[in-house]
Order: sequence, then structure tokens, then C-alpha cells
Amino acid sequence: MLGYTVKRILQVIPVLLIISFICFMMIRLVPGDPVANMLGINASKEAIAAQRAELGLDKPLLTQYGDFLVKALHGDLGKSITTRRPVIDEIAQRYPATLKLALGATVFAAVVGITFGVLSAVKQNKLTDNVIMVFSLLSVSTPSFFLALVMLLLFSIHLGWLPSMGLRTPLHYVLPIITLGMQSVGLIARTTRSSMLEVLRQDYIRTSRSRGISQAVIVMRHAFKNALIPVVTVVGLRFGGLLAGSMLVEAVFSVPGIGRFMVDGVLKRDYPVVQGTVLVLATTFVLVNLAVDLIYALIDPRIKYD
Amino acid sequence: MRKLIAFMTAAVMALSLAACGGSGGAGDTASGAGGGASSGGSGEILFGVPADVSSLDPHTQNDSYSEEVVKMVYNTLYAFDESNTPAPSLAESYEVSEDNLSWTFHLRTDVKFHNGKALTAKDVEASFNRALPADSGYITTSMISPIESVAATDDATVVIKTKEPYGPMLSLLCNYNTAIMDSDFIEQYGRDLGTTAETVNGTGPYKVTSWAKDEEVVIEANPDYFGNKAQVGAIRYLVIPESSSRIIALENGEVDLIHKVPSEEVARLETLEGVSVLKVGGVGQRLFRFGCNDEIMSNTKVRQALTYAVDRDAIRKALFADVSEEATGPLAPAVFGSHDYGPIKQDLEKAKALLAEAGYPNGFETKIVTTTQYDKGSELAEMIAAQLGEIGVNATIEVLEWSVFLPMISGMTADEFDAPLFIMGAGTSMADADGGYRGLYTTTPDGKNDRNYGFYSNAEVDEYIAQGMTETDPEKRKEIYAKAGQILYLDDPTGIWLYDQLNVFAYNSDKIDGLRIDALGCVLFDNATVK
Repeated sequence: MLGYTVKRILQVIPVLLIISFICFMMIRLVPGDPVANMLGINASKEAIAAQRAELGLDKPLLTQYGDFLVKALHGDLGKSITTRRPVIDEIAQRYPATLKLALGATVFAAVVGITFGVLSAVKQNKLTDNVIMVFSLLSVSTPSFFLALVMLLLFSIHLGWLPSMGLRTPLHYVLPIITLGMQSVGLIARTTRSSMLEVLRQDYIRTSRSRGISQAVIVMRHAFKNALIPVVTVVGLRFGGLLAGSMLVEAVFSVPGIGRFMVDGVLKRDYPVVQGTVLVLATTFVLVNLAVDLIYALIDPRIKYD
Repeated sequence: MRKLIAFMTAAVMALSLAACGGSGGAGDTASGAGGGASSGGSGEILFGVPADVSSLDPHTQNDSYSEEVVKMVYNTLYAFDESNTPAPSLAESYEVSEDNLSWTFHLRTDVKFHNGKALTAKDVEASFNRALPADSGYITTSMISPIESVAATDDATVVIKTKEPYGPMLSLLCNYNTAIMDSDFIEQYGRDLGTTAETVNGTGPYKVTSWAKDEEVVIEANPDYFGNKAQVGAIRYLVIPESSSRIIALENGEVDLIHKVPSEEVARLETLEGVSVLKVGGVGQRLFRFGCNDEIMSNTKVRQALTYAVDRDAIRKALFADVSEEATGPLAPAVFGSHDYGPIKQDLEKAKALLAEAGYPNGFETKIVTTTQYDKGSELAEMIAAQLGEIGVNATIEVLEWSVFLPMISGMTADEFDAPLFIMGAGTSMADADGGYRGLYTTTPDGKNDRNYGFYSNAEVDEYIAQGMTETDPEKRKEIYAKAGQILYLDDPTGIWLYDQLNVFAYNSDKIDGLRIDALGCVLFDNATVK
């Protein structure tokens, strides 16, 4: 297990190198000038040229990439062209908010989705199953931006139960987490349902039933654990997706997160910000996937990595 | 099974909330230069703004949300009063030399920075000298280009020398890009000044006490302010990017005041109890400029034809009904040197006749370039294209991202620039015709469109604008600019002026009183009170 983990962590290095190279080149190939953005519409040519030189943007692209890599290895992701603050500080300030939202949304989606999936499988083709499947279809197909506004209107304006902006108290997290997690609820419910149905048709489940073991014990102890592997895969992937895709929810609920920061960086062509945020998000995504792979072994002892 | 469901449902929220934990308000909550001293006013105003402050360095701030805070934290030598006339601020008086090249300013001696240091002429000198070099990389640099040197002659006297006589000097000094910073902070922080709360040290009625990026900026009343002291204890600028979320937050009582109310929401908000909507005209205008490097657009008659082909009333009614006013000239009424030439109404017959005179009786093919950076930029282009179609001018539309649009209007040659009709905002931050005209419509000196984006060139206009800059008699300046405006707006038009923008705010009128909106659309809290 340890050997496998070390091997997987070493594999992360080329993945991150490739991602950082693609990201570095892509943002520079897109038309647009970060210095013109920073200095505004009235900037003189001299000022723009001086700034480009100061930021090292006049060097060849590969040299710039080399400089970026060397600095990144020392924990320096450069300074934001827009805010002039170190990107690492800017990310450190925003990352916790996004991480908490993504974690909260993943937990919410996993618990609701798995519960619905299990229920649906157990009550296959009955009313409960049909209602849950319609709900999961709705949840997958409702855009989070729209859902956010509906929830704000209902819970903030009409009922006055929940605050609409920021993340100051635990109550502030409720609406953003539900909004962010809702699309994943349907996906996880459907995955759990089909995985459970497959397991419930296995011979050992029939044998258990014939031995008179109660339905609850069969479902929770014998079937559920064996149906979990595809579900864990989906939950892990969704976590990465929620982390990188929280931008809309951050905008509607005025959350100062990394998603908004990254999109602003792209719009303003703030190269260091885009490179830094993509690198941090990619690292998280890769590590979460590694964790998912390791969890497989815990769920199913037959899986061995050594 | 029911117990299981009940347990799992309860677990959902518990786990979700546990995953979040703590408060999200981390960030730069340092005490700033002002320290944590007790404030003079009482109560606080929660202000929902669309974007975070990008910089609190007056020389780099480049957007109205930054400027709004800068105006509360810093002071300039002169400041616009409520009638938009320059009035003494950090400077008490001035004299101009006989050759009109040397301006001597006498400073107040009772001004202190937020950290307690007294303001002297050295701070003024350091502030200007920081941005004077052409390659300094500050936004202020191009604005203060008429200035040759700034020197302190004693603690309370500063002499500003200009390259040639400069009539709008006082208006220039009202611009907050020329606000005065602490010379020690300039030296200590360099380009990092204004990037965090602790790198800010102004003299204004409020001081910055915390700044959590993308979340909020908090300013507190400065009890040692030299002018009228602020009545409100603190202003919290809360970043709420989505306009619908800002409106919900106002209705919900989570904020007291919001920026940028969309046109379609104004009427509804006006009916809400306890909510008032402020609509204030300023220097802002929307226009589509002609790319005069284009062979067809270089023809004056064609440009005149297009100005008569556009139905501005229909555009305003459809897109900006509650947030605009009819344009009556190439400068908004709040700008010194503006003149009322009357609105240009759609006149298709006149437009067709002008086109025929220009040699295009059947119209022509052209292109409109726009950007969504400007409010409803795409919709505006679509409406104009449809209206131009009525006189046989078929326009394709190109919608560009701001980052792509900006380089197009900075340093392109006439051969490279391909935008026969392009969207533009107008609004001079010094609220003077010199800022509104010079550079923008004067013949480009090097064949590039650094400021004269559309390569407009008219010798008479050049002459009037030069006269207006060097003339120091305000009445004569107005006469000169009226002649320049006549050409720019009607006789040899440089663009299609669509409307004057209104700055629209909604606020909790049960709580707030005394808000002031300046010509640039910034909310000023110096006279505000909380009930």
C-alpha cells in the first residue's frame, strides 16, 4: 500500500507539469493583454512597454515558463498583475471558502444521493422509486444559477429563514451548499441505484433472504458495502468538479472563493493568477482521485495495491 | 428503514455544516495606517458593490469601485463642490505666474494623515513626482502630462510648473488620480502601496481598517479629519457581484445601499416601502465612434447620415429607460465646457439624402465592433445594426471580450485597426472639456490610436482644443469648446452619441440620509447620517 501510494504521488509530478505547461501556453495564446487591462484605456505606449518589461512578459515564452517553474518549486507563484499581491497569498485567502463549500456540497450530495439511490433500488419500480428518479432527473438538469436564485427568493426573501450573501455563520453555508451539491445528488442517486440493483440480484443476497435475514440487514450490511465502489468513484470525481466549478454559486451568494478569482483572472488575462489557481485546483483534483483509489482497498479487501 | 432515513437526513445538514465550520471572514483585517483608534461617527452603512476594490493606490486605481473608496480615504489639492466647481481642499489658495506656467499652491497646515503624521508640501511633491515620468506605469501619468515639475518650496507651499499654459489645472487637481499620499509610505511600499489595508495612509474623512479581498472593505470615521467630520461610524463595502443578489440583499435588509440597479428593476424598487432610488446624472455617456481610417467612414456625409439613421429614443426605451437621459451634445451637462446642441432625432429621409450625396445611394456593407464590458453592449449593437439597415447600411456585428477590445484601442495603426463603428464610453474624470476632448479627438501625433481610438482628424477641432487648454479665462474656454462641440457632434461627427448615463442607486431610506453622488457616479459618505 505504501509503495503504491508513493508511486501514485510520483505520478502526480508529470501530470502537474503537463497541466501547468498547457495552462501557461493557452492563456498566453488567447488574444488580450494583461498590462493594457491593468493600466486602463488611457495608458501610454511607454507605460505599457515598461510594465511588460517589469513583469517579464517581453521574454520568450519558454523562458517565462522556465522562470515560472523554478519559482513555483520554491512556493512562489508570482504576483497578480491586477492586485500586485503574491498569488499564493491571494489563493490562501480564498481557497478555504471554496474548499468548505465543495466539501459541504459533496457531503450533502453523497448523503442525500446515496440515501435516495438505496431507497430507489429497494423500492424498484414502485412510486418511491419513480418519484426519486424524477427528482434526480430534475436535480441534474436544473442549472445551479437558476436554482440559486429560486432558493434565494424562497428562503431569503419570502420566508426570511436564511441569509443571502457571504459565509459569516454556519447558516450562511446552507443555501450555497445545497445549490452547489444539488446537481450531484441526482448523479449519485442514479449511480447508487444501478449499482445496488446489480448487487441485490446476486446469488448471495438471495441466499441471505432464504436464511431469513431481515431486509434492513441485507441492504445495509451485505449489499450496500459491495455497491459502494462505483459510488465512491462518482463522489470523488464530483468533489473535484465542485471544487473547480463553484464559480457561479460563489458569484450568486457573494462568496469570496477561488472560482471567482480564477474567472476574473482569465477575463483580465492575469497570467500568474490563472496559472496559480489552475495548478492548485489540479493538485487537489489529482490528490482526491488518489484518495479515492486508496479508499477502494478499504471498502473491498480483495483490492490490493502491492 | 424510516429510522435510517431520518438519521441520514439529519446527518446531511450536520455533516455539511461541520465540513464548513468557522467563519469565512478571514483576510486582511490589519489595523491599517489608521490603527484601531475610536471613530468619530456612529452606526454603520452596509454598501453592496458589484466588485472589489482593485487598488487603493490613487495612481493605479482604475475603476469606479476603487475610486469610491479612494475618495473617502484620500484628499486632493482641490475638490469638486456640489455644483462641480473646483473648491479648496488640501490647498487653501493659489497664485498663477504672469506667463501662466507656474502655479503656486498654499497648503492647509492642520492636515494629518491617518497615522498622525502632519501633511507637508514634501508629500505633495513626492505624490506627483512618483507618476511624472512617462514610463512610470501609473494611470495618473498620462493625466498629468501637461505638468513639467512639482516642487515644495517650504512646508506649506508647492509650485507646479506646466509645459505650456494649462487652463483646466484646478479641475485636473480635483481628479482623485492626483490624490496626495504620505511620502514615507510611497518610499516604504513603492508599487505595493494600496494593495492591502496597512499600506494605505490618507488624509480623508474615513480611514481603511480592513480589507478582505473579494469580500469587504471597511472604512471608519477619521476623528482627526480637518474638514467636516464624518457622521457615520463605519462603511462596509460588501462585494456582491450579481445584480439580482444585490437587490435581494437590499430587500432582505442585509445591505443598506446598492450600486448599479439594472434598468428593468428600477420601477419595482421604487414601489417598495422604505427603499428609495437615487438617479443622478454625471459625466458618463454612451456612444458608438466611427473608425475614420475606414474608407467609407472617412466621408463626413456618411457619418452624418448614420447619426440621423439611429433612433436613440427607441434604444433608450428598450434598454435603458430608467437609467439614461437624452444626449444633447458630445459632453454630458455635468462637464465644464459642455453645450446643449439638442437631441439628434431619427430622420431617415435626411439620412438617405446624405448617403446619396456621399455617393452611397444604395447603402454599403460595414461592421460594428462591441464589447459586453459595457452594459448591454451586444443589444446596443444589434439595435443600431437593425436601424442602419433601414437606410441600406448592412452591418455585421463583432462582439469582443474586454481583454481583446482594449489592445485594439491602444497603439494600433490605421492599417491594423478594423472597426468602422465601435462602442465607446465617454466621461472625463476631471469633469472638464479638456479631459473630454484633448487626445480623444485631436489628430493622433504618431499615427497610432493610443487615445484617438477612431483616427478622427479635423484641423479646426485641433485648433479649438489647443486654445481651450491654454486659455485660462473660464468664459472664453466655454466659448471655444462650444465651437469644438458643434463640429464633433454635428458638422463632422466623430460618433453617434446615444444617451447620457444616470448613476442609479437604491438605498434603505428608513436608515440612511445625506448620501451624495458625485459626477463620476461615486457615492460620497462625508455628509451621510444613519437614523
